[in-house]
Amino acid sequence: MRLLFQKLLNGVAIGSVYALFALGYTVVFSILRVINFAHGAIFTVGAYITYALTGAAFGKNGQLRNASLPLELNFWLALALGALGAGVLGVLVERLAFKPLRERGSDPLLTLVSSLGVAIATVNILQYLFGAENYSFGETLGSMRASVTLVGGELPVVIRTKQIVIFAVSMVMVVGLTLLINRTRTGKGLRAVAEDLTTARLLGIDTDRLIRLSFFISGVLGGIAGALIGLAGSFNHQFGVAIGLKGLAVIVLGGLGDIPGAVVGGLVIGVAEAFVPAEYNAYKDAVPFVVLLVVLLVRPSGLLGRAQVQKV
Amino acid sequence: MLDFLNSQGTIYVSMVLGAVLGLSLYLPLLAGQLSLASPGFYALGGFVAAVMSTKTFEVKGSFPIHLVLVELVVAAVLCGALAFIVGLAALRLTGIYLALATIAFVEVLRVFTLNLELTGGAVGIFAIPQPFGTQLSYLWLAAPLLIIATLFTWRLEKVRAGRAFAAVREDELAAASMGVDTTRAKITAFVLGGVLAGLAGVIAAHQINTWSHRQASFDASIAYLAFVLIGGSRTFLGPVAGGLVLTYLPEWLREQAKHEFLPAWAAEFLRTGRFIIYGVLLAASCIFFPRGLITPELLRRIKRIGRGGSRPPEQKLRAEPEAVA
Repeated sequence: MRLLFQKLLNGVAIGSVYALFALGYTVVFSILRVINFAHGAIFTVGAYITYALTGAAFGKNGQLRNASLPLELNFWLALALGALGAGVLGVLVERLAFKPLRERGSDPLLTLVSSLGVAIATVNILQYLFGAENYSFGETLGSMRASVTLVGGELPVVIRTKQIVIFAVSMVMVVGLTLLINRTRTGKGLRAVAEDLTTARLLGIDTDRLIRLSFFISGVLGGIAGALIGLAGSFNHQFGVAIGLKGLAVIVLGGLGDIPGAVVGGLVIGVAEAFVPAEYNAYKDAVPFVVLLVVLLVRPSGLLGRAQVQKV
Repeated sequence: MLDFLNSQGTIYVSMVLGAVLGLSLYLPLLAGQLSLASPGFYALGGFVAAVMSTKTFEVKGSFPIHLVLVELVVAAVLCGALAFIVGLAALRLTGIYLALATIAFVEVLRVFTLNLELTGGAVGIFAIPQPFGTQLSYLWLAAPLLIIATLFTWRLEKVRAGRAFAAVREDELAAASMGVDTTRAKITAFVLGGVLAGLAGVIAAHQINTWSHRQASFDASIAYLAFVLIGGSRTFLGPVAGGLVLTYLPEWLREQAKHEFLPAWAAEFLRTGRFIIYGVLLAASCIFFPRGLITPELLRRIKRIGRGGSRPPEQKLRAEPEAVA
């Protein structure tokens, strides 16, 4: 029972970041009906910026050998600025890989390749500048304790402080995003654009601005997720690839473009991974994709989604 | 001259195999199926070769070529059967959903090959026997495969089965109501793509001597998609050209670092940062060549120039819609 509870805790903590990350895909997909394959790279950049802003030094293999910023922000400020930086990168990705194609009215499929092109460039710039080594944030966050013991005894149930931070930040972001979309004028605009881009434009909505905004939001969500997952373990220039793929499983599970669905999907995948028995740990990485395959075959519209009727 | 060719052998063979892999993605696309499963079948074909040549056949010295042919047959049958199953399961899916399902398939396959003892686990299989002494000689296998695959695809687009693919691609419902067996067309296209990728894998495994789970990667999925979209997805020459050019590109960039007039930082950038340039070029070519480098119009124009250019432009009989899938 206690073991079960501990696994559930771990699963929810990691699942909340999956949800956060996948929301970044969702915000863009709901509007443009395309997947931004640069999202994993933005996620990685979020971790790097946050790391640099805390004043930590980089390794000796990149072009910027042993470089570090002359300032030492606390983690929260660094996280916020890292998220902003990732948001700006998101807007840049839109400008470079999406807007030119949209203006020319080319096939939306091409954005898969153009956004991956930007992702390849971004990730390799990181490697070029900072090398291929693993980086990690310190063991503790400032003066906070490393962990809280919920239930003591022989089989203790322990929450790491980092897990609490990850879960809390993720939930704040999810709630914030939901409020933004459902309660504000901007959110109304985003919903209108998601419903029908052309009609929204005809009605006088500045669609280009809202598309930019959606990429900014997406970047912020990705950047925070990057810093949080980097916080939980270690990261390098490659670490966006695996989560980039898991995020795809999450959004399909939740139904493409569905915001509550992405949150539920993230939690389900996180918990499902945590419950993989230890002896099959090596197969853990396959879990999201087995789930994805099953969902696609059984219920392609996702857990919470409505079936789409094909019109002729 | 021969020395130069031999030193470049590895890259020439990779280019030819790149073109084959481009075709392996183009075939399902002919029937409107955006499948990114090629790296999965490529990896599987490679493992067939790696396992059979290191564990099944006991060969001393040079690896006999007829055993490679046996491996090709086994890989084709295995990949074809698996593609049939995957294709059947994925029938209901279209567009981005199918793409995501095939990505998931590749990823599941990768995790299994990473963990199974048969496939060598995380390190993979080493010291795969070589049927040839030089890298360049692998063209004896790779080039015929490319030529056959190209001719096959070219002919396919002219015969009944290929016409059925095109009909499904343009409008599945209309095709079905005209009596085209859309299920059969889609699965056939899927299987053809899988078999072709598997065959390329067999040759590649021998050529690069070692094979591991890393061959089945998501990046490879999109790279092969780039071969097709940047090469041109409306004619079989597109993916061939895309595969050749895009495989050569990073290598070409590295070669450029050897020029003496370059300042040290630029040479260093070309060596270690060449994938930055590759990524930028990938994005740029999507923007500047949205229909790919080789389009049907381009081919028509070349043909007209070949005839002396005296004829008036042909009347367009067939519409060329913009959409790929």
